Amino acid sequence: MSDVDLLNKPLTDSEREALRIYQALKDLAGLDDLPPCAARNVRKALACMWQVTNDLDLQFEQLYDLGV
Amino acid sequence: MPYPEFWNPKNETLPKEELRLLQLYKLRRLCEWAYARSPFHRRRFDAAGFGPEQLKTLDDIRRIPFMTREQWMESQLEKPMFGDLVATDQTHAIRYHLTSGTTGRTPIRVLDSTKDWEWISEMWCYGFWGFGVRPEDVVYFAFGYGSFIGFWGAHYGCEKIGTLVIPGGAQTTEGRVRQIVEMGVTTVCSTPTYALRLWQQATEMGIDLARDSRVNKLIVSGEPAGSIPAVKRQLETAWGTKCGDTAGMTEIGTIMIFECSHQPGGTHIIEDHFIEEVVHPDSGEPVGYGKLGERAVTSFGRGFIPLIRYRSRDMVVKVPDKSCQCGRTGDIYEGGIRGRWDDMKLIRGTNVYTRAVEAIVREYDATDEFQIYLWRKDDIQDEITLKVEMKPGREAGWQELQKKLAADLAHAHEGLRFNIERVDHGSLPRFELKAKRLVDDRPVVGQHSR
Repeated sequence: MSDVDLLNKPLTDSEREALRIYQALKDLAGLDDLPPCAARNVRKALACMWQVTNDLDLQFEQLYDLGV
Repeated sequence: MPYPEFWNPKNETLPKEELRLLQLYKLRRLCEWAYARSPFHRRRFDAAGFGPEQLKTLDDIRRIPFMTREQWMESQLEKPMFGDLVATDQTHAIRYHLTSGTTGRTPIRVLDSTKDWEWISEMWCYGFWGFGVRPEDVVYFAFGYGSFIGFWGAHYGCEKIGTLVIPGGAQTTEGRVRQIVEMGVTTVCSTPTYALRLWQQATEMGIDLARDSRVNKLIVSGEPAGSIPAVKRQLETAWGTKCGDTAGMTEIGTIMIFECSHQPGGTHIIEDHFIEEVVHPDSGEPVGYGKLGERAVTSFGRGFIPLIRYRSRDMVVKVPDKSCQCGRTGDIYEGGIRGRWDDMKLIRGTNVYTRAVEAIVREYDATDEFQIYLWRKDDIQDEITLKVEMKPGREAGWQELQKKLAADLAHAHEGLRFNIERVDHGSLPRFELKAKRLVDDRPVVGQHSR
């Protein structure tokens, strides 16, 4: 996980935590043994965390291959 | 703790040079994505000899060919329903919308995923928060919630902010007025035209919205009129509150500009999520600050249908961020969207724009609704008639109004003579969404005249 944002500025503690959770949700969304109730809600949560980390310049990527 | 002024303090106040670096980074990534996944973009990039690796500075954006609505429509026709612009599997979409089709052409069809909708609503959050909407607000959407994207994103944005959202939905204007008053609504969202209609209906019901409602913010979108000073003045007086303009387009799914609570006479560009170029409508060359040109937009939000250097046909004048005191570093479109290049009509050698006519008509408080009617006299001469409905009870002032309108319109249009005609109150169409106030009844060459 990166220690800097897209503009090479050091991450704050809360930004680092947001990025960690985003990555954890991506990992979860990649699992294929989740029941529908978990799989779909994880994707909703991931979409929200994508927006958080996108707004804070922590990542800029597409998530369609994860169905998000 | 008081709320911060900005929805995204980190990016809304980013120094300009850092903002440009962020845009360059996102542009490269977006072009890589589009080239890899969208046949439409790959074809265009290859034909222009452009590759994403050529983007070394933001000026290199000019290496990318412009994208037009016509190309998009062609792609849809060749490969129904969505064309080959789409960059991912259609099963990833959760929503379908289409353009409102004011120009009568084939509508543009769009698909969006869960992530895209987070982003669509987010852009509205920038705008609504910027105009002062907070979790305590009660927000009313005077909107029909159909296939036209309209205020859908704003609805979700307000839920995200934490306001109480009231979806107006399909009901009568009278029913909407009652709801606004009864529910203690503080923020009303509609088109500028419909905000006037709501006020008019309230007046007929004996309700003074400025006195009898709790509305303290009016947020409009969907028509250029929201930034016409005379329209804004009328709305602010009628509702007894400030009125903020926003503007977006179905092609990007959301808004790209908004007026902040400082009301600088223009709309801030959300520059961490868009690149907004202003170019000459014919040559495509960039025009500088303060010059009228056409918007070309690159959107970093919707990856499903990448939009890169899309020619909007919107007329704008860009000015630096310093013309507003709010502290945002995004540039401003002075006067918002000033009209559309393809809205221009040529009458006896003079250019006529609906927005320019509306700006004059709305200076006169006695006017209620109007229509610009173009026709041909004796199969030879083009004529322009302004049909005017007067507000009930103001009819005695018609002759003076007629003279003033004729003089003002001629003055603003190189002496062009407008026929000014009074019509019965309620005889002209009313609009909830995009108003269509220009009727061109001139025969088209190659067709039988009526």
